[in-house]
Amino acid sequence: MNQPVELQPDETFVLNVGPQHPATHGVLRVKMEMNGEYIVHAETVVGYIHRMHEKMGEVKPYPQFLMNLSRLDYLGAMGYSHCHALCVEKAAGIEVPKRAEYIRVLMVELNRVSSHLVWLGAFIMDLGGFTPLLYTFQAREHILDMMERITGARLTYCYIRFGGVSRDIDDQFIQSARDFMPYMRKELIKYHKLITGNIIFKKRMVGMGHISPEMCRKYGASSGVARGAGINFDVRRNEPYSVYPELEFEVPVYDGCDNMSRYMVRMEEIEQSLRIVEHALDQLPDGPVMPKKAPKIIKPPAGDYYQATETARGTFGVRLVSDGSQTPYRMKLRSPTYSNMHLFDEACRGLMIMDAMAMMGTLDLVIPEIDR
Amino acid sequence: MGKESIPESIVQLAIADDIIKIGRANSLWPLTFGIACCAIEMMATGGSRFDMSRFGAEVFRPSPRQADLLIIAGTVTKKMQPGIMTLYDQMPEPKWVMAMGNCAISGGPFAIKENYNIVLGADTFLPVDIFVPGCPPRPEGLLQGIIELEELVSDWKRFKDPEKAHSRQPSIRAQADKEV
Amino acid sequence: MIREKLKQALEHLFPAGEAVPPAIVAEGEEPAEKTPREAVIETDYATCGYHLDIKTPPEQLIEVVSLIDQNDFFIESITGVDWIEEGEIEVVYDFSRYDFDLCRVVVRTRTDRDNAALPTITGVYAGANWHERETAEFFGINFIGHPHLVNLLLPEDSDIHPLRKDFKP
Repeated sequence: MNQPVELQPDETFVLNVGPQHPATHGVLRVKMEMNGEYIVHAETVVGYIHRMHEKMGEVKPYPQFLMNLSRLDYLGAMGYSHCHALCVEKAAGIEVPKRAEYIRVLMVELNRVSSHLVWLGAFIMDLGGFTPLLYTFQAREHILDMMERITGARLTYCYIRFGGVSRDIDDQFIQSARDFMPYMRKELIKYHKLITGNIIFKKRMVGMGHISPEMCRKYGASSGVARGAGINFDVRRNEPYSVYPELEFEVPVYDGCDNMSRYMVRMEEIEQSLRIVEHALDQLPDGPVMPKKAPKIIKPPAGDYYQATETARGTFGVRLVSDGSQTPYRMKLRSPTYSNMHLFDEACRGLMIMDAMAMMGTLDLVIPEIDR
Repeated sequence: MGKESIPESIVQLAIADDIIKIGRANSLWPLTFGIACCAIEMMATGGSRFDMSRFGAEVFRPSPRQADLLIIAGTVTKKMQPGIMTLYDQMPEPKWVMAMGNCAISGGPFAIKENYNIVLGADTFLPVDIFVPGCPPRPEGLLQGIIELEELVSDWKRFKDPEKAHSRQPSIRAQADKEV
Repeated sequence: MIREKLKQALEHLFPAGEAVPPAIVAEGEEPAEKTPREAVIETDYATCGYHLDIKTPPEQLIEVVSLIDQNDFFIESITGVDWIEEGEIEVVYDFSRYDFDLCRVVVRTRTDRDNAALPTITGVYAGANWHERETAEFFGINFIGHPHLVNLLLPEDSDIHPLRKDFKP
């Protein structure tokens, strides 16, 4: 690659990317100090969609806060509601029936597939290819139809409640989920044929956008960013919760530390999520979906509680400080995109702007999650 | 905004004006300005199942200088408000604004008593023409908003008889429900 | 086990040894005993979700965090909690590990509500930069030595501290 010309400090110019920009996945602003096409210094400005979730966590009672979790990361909303429900149930000591946990895992994994499909379509559109967006959105509609039949919503679900789920699944859902497996596997082969072997794609991805494991550790990165740097870290395996210990799946890890590794990690995750769904459907037990004595008023004992789960974007954590009343004293939401985005400022120094945008796409960002 | 006010000119061509207005209605070019959750439903509307391109509106322009419809899809915060004003001012006339989703209409689920950061609706600082409710609205809702806006732009109704406009083919879900 | 290793490494900083776990005061109750200022406590993971709870005064904070960094933990999050009844703001640091030797470490430190100030740990963990900026703007804490302590989520010119308990919009 050509090296940039050495310039005096006052010969750089500042390029403002965003907040309205087709490639920033939401309202994100990056102030880039440029030397021609090369980035000298980047500063991310966030906060354009700060919607006061943590303040609402302190003024709304526990059941009223359930709807906020879906609006944090709307693409993988089920995983967030799952984490919050697990935390409050741990605090208040609510038992969840086995069938409800299996249904939760089913929904979370299907949601993960649909989130990765949106990521794939939007990412390739950033690089300049419009077609995969249409294919992935079409495949995603199948999942949304399935979930809408049961939960009533396409995007922002309020399905996971304290103690279980709000409605049971029926045979038609199970049958359509089973029919979806071979369809999605064929689609994955189509995406690999269309995208992964493409020479232009490879030139933009292989060896570009280096993020080292040490940088991941200093910033607390997770999901594709860490697993694409060789770190074998997935909360479902490292810190098991719910019924994941009983389900068979692998955690894909690539140690290239470049854009291609992060991309391949997420593609493999789609396949592994399909395996989890299949296995969960085989093992689905009978029973109720809410406990018999579901508490009407949630009042966890005073104390400090923490729960982390693996969502489509990475490690999501809920820190709940309770004072024994019906509203939390402090509800802290630790979002994975916050840590993943943070390392962009350091990692994009010296890159050309187009490579930096490609790297931003592989970080899998959803901006409302940063701003909460 | 409603009807645009064009200054009186000496030569007026009524038929040409009508044709131009129908042309405008059939090719509304939105600005790519998805803020939050509603943006995903906007992208899904541009996808192949709901297909906004049948109504001429799939050409999302990244630059406000080339767009004529500003779809505010998501919550407006105090930090973002000056940015939206700049975008609106940069769009050339004639232009229209659609408030998509409950947040853009009135603050939505974030309009709490302790609100310190949300602007309670896009119509507090912009002249909004069409409101599409929902959290998020279904893609069909957004399409309905575009169809209503077309009627507002030109005096031409796309579907003269809405009942007849329903597809004769039952939806996938209705077919599947029948089989159960 | 990393937990034992870390406890041994921290011993020279906390000569007092283990103490009774502090109780958070429920609404309307009086605290049973004065909560200790510094201690290393092993907690029950199944009930509260973390393994080690380290309470430290602000002066020792950087040393504790450096020890944790040398043992290969990653920073997960920094939380502020406003204890208005006691007139203090508590800042909670969460650390965890990437490998399978699971150990969640929570470091707590307290400072006065008026003139809240804490040393910054950005020298140890670069990722604390944004976390500290957010805690600073929401609670009004000054992190001494922070390279760029400006508002992160709120508008640049705003000077409100929304998550304090006496905040009126």
